[in-house]
Amino acid sequence: MRRKHLASEKYAKRSAFKSIWKQLKKNKGAMMGLAILSVIVLIAILSQFAFNYKEDIIAQNIGNRLQHPSREHLFGTDALGRDVLGRVAYGARYSLAIGVVSVLIAMVAGVALGAAAGYIGGFFENIVMRITDIFSAIPSVLLAIAIVASLGKSTFNLMVAVGVASIPAFVRVARASVLTVRGEEYIEAARAIGMRDWKIILVHILPNCLSQIIVQTTLRVASAIIAAASLSFLGLGVPAPAPEWGSMLSEGRAYIRDYSYLMVFPGLAIMLTVLSLNLIGDGLRDALDPKLKR
Amino acid sequence: MYRYIINRLIMLIPVLLGVVFIVFFIMDLAPGDPVYQVAGEQATPAELQELRVKLGLDGNIFTRYARYIKNMLRGDLGVSYISKRNVMKTYLERLPNTLMLASVTMVVAILVSIPLGIIAAVHQNSIKDTVSMILALLGLSIPNFWLGLLLIILFSLKLKWLPSGGINGIKSIILPALTVGLGLAALMTRTTRSSMLDVVRQDYLRTARSKGVTEKKVIYRHALKNALIPIITIFGIQFSNVLGGSVLAETVFSWPGVGRLVVDAINQRDIPMVTGALVMTTMLVSIVNLLVDIIYAYVDPRIKAQYTK
Amino acid sequence: MPDANLILEIKNLDVCYKTEDGDVHAVNGIDLQLGYHKTLGLVGETGAGKTTTALSLLRLIPDPPGIIECDTMIVAGNDMLKMPVSELEGIRGKDISMIFQDPMTALNPVFTVGEQIAESLEIHEHLSKSDAYERAIQMLETVGIPRSRGNEFPHQFSGGMKQRVVIAIALACNPKLLIADEPTTALDVTIQAQVLELMKTLKDKNDTSMILITHDLGIVAEVCDEVAVMYAGRIVEKGSLREIFDETLHPYTEGLFNSLPNINDRSAKLKPIQGLMPDPTDLPPGCTFAPRCGYAKDECLRRQPRLACMAGTHYVSCLAYERSDFHIGRGKH
Repeated sequence: MRRKHLASEKYAKRSAFKSIWKQLKKNKGAMMGLAILSVIVLIAILSQFAFNYKEDIIAQNIGNRLQHPSREHLFGTDALGRDVLGRVAYGARYSLAIGVVSVLIAMVAGVALGAAAGYIGGFFENIVMRITDIFSAIPSVLLAIAIVASLGKSTFNLMVAVGVASIPAFVRVARASVLTVRGEEYIEAARAIGMRDWKIILVHILPNCLSQIIVQTTLRVASAIIAAASLSFLGLGVPAPAPEWGSMLSEGRAYIRDYSYLMVFPGLAIMLTVLSLNLIGDGLRDALDPKLKR
Repeated sequence: MYRYIINRLIMLIPVLLGVVFIVFFIMDLAPGDPVYQVAGEQATPAELQELRVKLGLDGNIFTRYARYIKNMLRGDLGVSYISKRNVMKTYLERLPNTLMLASVTMVVAILVSIPLGIIAAVHQNSIKDTVSMILALLGLSIPNFWLGLLLIILFSLKLKWLPSGGINGIKSIILPALTVGLGLAALMTRTTRSSMLDVVRQDYLRTARSKGVTEKKVIYRHALKNALIPIITIFGIQFSNVLGGSVLAETVFSWPGVGRLVVDAINQRDIPMVTGALVMTTMLVSIVNLLVDIIYAYVDPRIKAQYTK
Repeated sequence: MPDANLILEIKNLDVCYKTEDGDVHAVNGIDLQLGYHKTLGLVGETGAGKTTTALSLLRLIPDPPGIIECDTMIVAGNDMLKMPVSELEGIRGKDISMIFQDPMTALNPVFTVGEQIAESLEIHEHLSKSDAYERAIQMLETVGIPRSRGNEFPHQFSGGMKQRVVIAIALACNPKLLIADEPTTALDVTIQAQVLELMKTLKDKNDTSMILITHDLGIVAEVCDEVAVMYAGRIVEKGSLREIFDETLHPYTEGLFNSLPNINDRSAKLKPIQGLMPDPTDLPPGCTFAPRCGYAKDECLRRQPRLACMAGTHYVSCLAYERSDFHIGRGKH
């Protein structure tokens, strides 16, 4: 009996994925976003092998400083003589890692809280939502800044700061999804056969909220990358000499007058990464939404 | 209606208390004892303890929190560790600059996004629509501080039309406002388009047309008035992000507002200033959100009815 | 040359929606006439093309994706096909008005009912805002709603009252032709009777011509002078009320009458028409009703019948009547 149930569920999931993929393929923007993102991820992975961290990325070479883009240094060199192309490529690792990890933290914490709040209801739900409201009242940039200011500058603290700022969004989405699904009859049926609450949440409720959560995750990674870069720009992010895109823009700012090329490439990198994620997120949202506003 | 407003104001209080606690809690996580910042290396333990009491740093987090709230109600947010000046006073001095920037930012965003969003919705799936949506997506994906830097390169350095920083007359507010405003405009264009699309398929527009109302009026009077309701809501929610964005704009353009105040205070580990500025800014956001809720209730007769009965 | 006795003259109206899933042939070659001060009942099932026909009279069909093709469309002396949009806007609400099916969504939620009625008057009779509002609340009283409610919003009214407001809007400028698209379908049965009574009274008082679209033959019998029966975008039978009810000709019309439950014989079986209306993107080549028709022959599936005059004002579109000895079961003497 149980085996049959699981098997039919697997089939349902697989065909659901297939149909979503089919819908997504139709969206040219989403496909382009996927392509761009793949390239960026590839760069992030391969840069470890293409460049030597100690020599190419952080070693200073004052004699070579502030070279405009040339054949030897395609993106030029920065104020400390470091090759900008290598640093931008390496920077992808930081941005992607920070974006993904911080949002994963937020997703796990936020969905757990939100789903529980929506399912259990009552006083617990009230408390969770009030606390979420309080956190939402603080502008997210300021909240992240405060956390980093307090805990100190490090990559990990940056992840925590950006992650915490993203939790409210997940709490809301998860709770809303759970509330929609909670009243459905198959939940009543599951309870009637004696299924435990946590199991119901895991097996029945969450899979149905999955689509909303996936969309939210993709979009939040995009905003997390911008947030991390913003904090680094303010000097509150990844500590030097790490090649984070935001820090690179901050370092190059002093030379904006005569060496404006320093402003171009790291910023472009941020924009392309975020753009690709937004394209994918939009595409997912359209593919997963039955009432398409075509 | 007044009852609704009073109610919301009352509900604001626990939120604000909660915010202060959270800010407190976060700042408290910092390693190290802040008393050393003021006292210096040479102070004796007795002097340190005296200083702690004077600065209100003695006791556990709850006593300190209660003390802070008490003082806050009197308008006293403490004294800066660095400048020794009154925190509240410093904040209020810089607040108008930020408010001015925020206002111009939102005006820019409205002027761009509403017309663009309407055009995109009315000509759905046409070239105008596609181009608008692509621009909007790009605008959403650009980090605002990078946009600011690019604007400086183009308009200050290359064209020399506009100043690259400081607060010096009307010209100096344009670039900072664009920096945050264009990003907001991108988001609001999409929102406007979405809201208009929902409205454009409603039956009551067909009724209007059958009365002989001109197409222009159907869109700009009958449709827009309905579409504005969710647009206003989202716009209000975005005020928080405008303030957050102005932190970056103020940094890029050396604008003397509260955003820069917070960043400088953080870099100097000026805890009273950071705490005070965060608390005040959050209060500002909460009040604006409340105002938006009230406006929303006023504009949508269905909601208004709920609160006037 | 437009006939001065006719308020409505349509020849060969075709409406096609071009969609991604295919071309939807909603209306296929309709001819209709209506005399002044008369009421025409346009009868048929859902999807027969009745609403589309009505919308095309006011050129309210969204384009894209809808395309109207027509030889002649003259309403109240106006050539509707050649008219530029600005003139069209002058006619809508003034010479021709329309009442829609669902009163719950027909009114704009952010304007008061008084304002919505007054708008018509401001546009067509060039009244000032205050004069228009005054006339508007008078109209409200005419439809049985107290004047004091003129500054209330639609959500504060029940369905039946909303429909009265819609009627008030439609009749505010005293139109020559009123098109009512299933005006009572969405209402409770008791309210239906009230609203219908109201419409009849106003129509008679102002000598308004009316096209009443409905699937309810009982309403047709109450209100209409003439009847046209539509099926799959074509008119299959038309004539005076008496001709249609007492001298029914078309098998589909017969089927409609037969499907009405007999209140006097509770134990009798219901006699619905077998099958479903054809897919408008894929209409059958011959007579569109043939697949469901009890009298159909092979020829019916291959050849399309034309609307032909049988007697006086009675027209029918059926191949069987080309043989003079044919008659359907109903009304056979």
